Amino acid sequence: MINNKILLPIFILVALVQLSVPAKMIFDKEDILNNGKEYKFKTKSIYPNDPFRGKYITLSFYEDMIEVENGADWTEGEIIYVSLTTDREGFAKIKSVSKENLVNNQDFLKTKVGYIADNDPKMLTIDYPFDRFYMEESKAYDAESIYLESQPDTSQITYALVSIKDGEAVLKDVLINGVSIREIVIKERENQK
Amino acid sequence: MIKDISELVKADIISQETANKISAYYRRKAGQSTNRLFVVFGILGSIFVGLGIILIIAHNWDNLLRTTKTFLAFLPPLVGQLLCGFVLLKKQDSVAWRESGTTFLFFSVGATISLVSQIYNMPGNLSSFLLTWMLLCLPLIYVMRSSIASLLYLIGITYYGCETNYWTHSYSESYLHWLLLLTILPHYYSLYKKKPQSNFMIFHNWLIPLSVIINLGTLANPTEELIFVTYFSFFGLIYSIGNLDFFTKQRLRNSGYKVLGFLGTIILLLISSFDSFWEYLNKQDYLLSKLIKTPEFFASAIVSLSAGMLLLLQVKNKSLNGIKPISPVFILFILTFIIGQSSPISAVLLINIFIFAIGLLTIRDGAKINNLGLINCGSLIITAVLLSRFFDIELSFTVRGCLFVSIGFGFFATNYWMLKKRKSND
Repeated sequence: MINNKILLPIFILVALVQLSVPAKMIFDKEDILNNGKEYKFKTKSIYPNDPFRGKYITLSFYEDMIEVENGADWTEGEIIYVSLTTDREGFAKIKSVSKENLVNNQDFLKTKVGYIADNDPKMLTIDYPFDRFYMEESKAYDAESIYLESQPDTSQITYALVSIKDGEAVLKDVLINGVSIREIVIKERENQK
Repeated sequence: MIKDISELVKADIISQETANKISAYYRRKAGQSTNRLFVVFGILGSIFVGLGIILIIAHNWDNLLRTTKTFLAFLPPLVGQLLCGFVLLKKQDSVAWRESGTTFLFFSVGATISLVSQIYNMPGNLSSFLLTWMLLCLPLIYVMRSSIASLLYLIGITYYGCETNYWTHSYSESYLHWLLLLTILPHYYSLYKKKPQSNFMIFHNWLIPLSVIINLGTLANPTEELIFVTYFSFFGLIYSIGNLDFFTKQRLRNSGYKVLGFLGTIILLLISSFDSFWEYLNKQDYLLSKLIKTPEFFASAIVSLSAGMLLLLQVKNKSLNGIKPISPVFILFILTFIIGQSSPISAVLLINIFIFAIGLLTIRDGAKINNLGLINCGSLIITAVLLSRFFDIELSFTVRGCLFVSIGFGFFATNYWMLKKRKSND
């Protein structure tokens, strides 16, 4: 039997690594949330989902395509760097996409190619790394209903608030006309009582 | 049993000393089975608690602050680690404690990563989640000397391989699953050396070949047809492994290698006995110079050579009659595969002859050792090939019906004859 003098330090090391990986994930995400630049991405549809990890709503965005010269230059799933800017209303807008990160480019997002449409104009769809918004078990379905009700009303603007730093992004909240979808669900429930 | 023993002592059939020895043997055996129950319930309990924690976490408590949620995320692995630390210090010899503690820690690590992903709305990349989880838990197999960790890890990496290569459109091919599989082998070897008859060893004997079978198909790109050669050779290889002395001494259900090798070969033979299979193959044009650079060529070459060498070692000192009918099928398939490129009809004919011959030889082997199971297995193989031909050949319902009735009568007759033979022997 291997001596405890050897096994125990190895186990402690393993335990520390096991804790350090999620801890590193948390520190990185907190850093983005606290020091990143905020972007508002207009959402076009929300689908509720029910996976093992909890209920969440899946988001898709208006600004998720850009025209490219040659579709064959890009591969689905390939890592790309999206340069971002904002439009007059303050919503995120794609400036350009590139295969390499441009030096001194602060406003960029590291993500993947989603799909390439081969017909003219050749459009590259971006697979954003913030298409999931986890909600409390009972609220995901209500959130979708509220969203669907708000759709015919053009005055209701739905968007995802995303914090971006050094190419990494964290989805902070999903809002309808500036109010968090979580708060809207709670208010709706109170009104129904 | 104890009553019987005292009766036997009274009747002077066995001595008191022998009676004591028998009693002690059964007491010891009963103790072992209680221990086994402790291990099973300990592991099951840990699995349920671990899965329960994941589900409670999945509720996603809105009322809790982000900091509270983050703090809670670290509680399960911390409890698991303390439990495992205690086991290492105080209960290292107890399999039940070791395996239960490790099972709990294994699930806790996964739960923590899930919870952090949920708190920060991280995208659902299942591949990277599984990879991180499995890599963080790999050392537990060796530090905790835990076989359940090894089995859970095997399941996890198999799922990872499928997720990366089958279910996700990936930018590049990933061979990481094979590397991850290799890391388990030292533990498997240690099980073989120290606990060859244990249940954990039996589970490994099933899961390891199964993991390879599931992920072998990931190598089928771009010359996917070659993967049939790889699969045939792999089934041949594991069938030969199942025929090693170590496995032949065990019950058939404990030998995953032999059962999977047998079933895999028969199923593939049946698939390749159809015209359409060879017609499709014949449409593919290969460039030899390109072919030898593909991963599936390397895979098929390595697997076929290994299977060939093992078979050679096994049949070296045996007569032709001693060779099991399934063993050389992979070699015959390679030859048929080459023939099939120019003449699909010949390949179809050869494959059908092979299946028929395997069925007949299996019946012969069964009759030789008076094994009804083996005889029925051989009959089933022949039935399967006949049924498959019903899809190929246009026959009237009357002819098909008559054939079915004859097959049914064939089964009855064989079994009746064998049972009668057994009775007369008794």
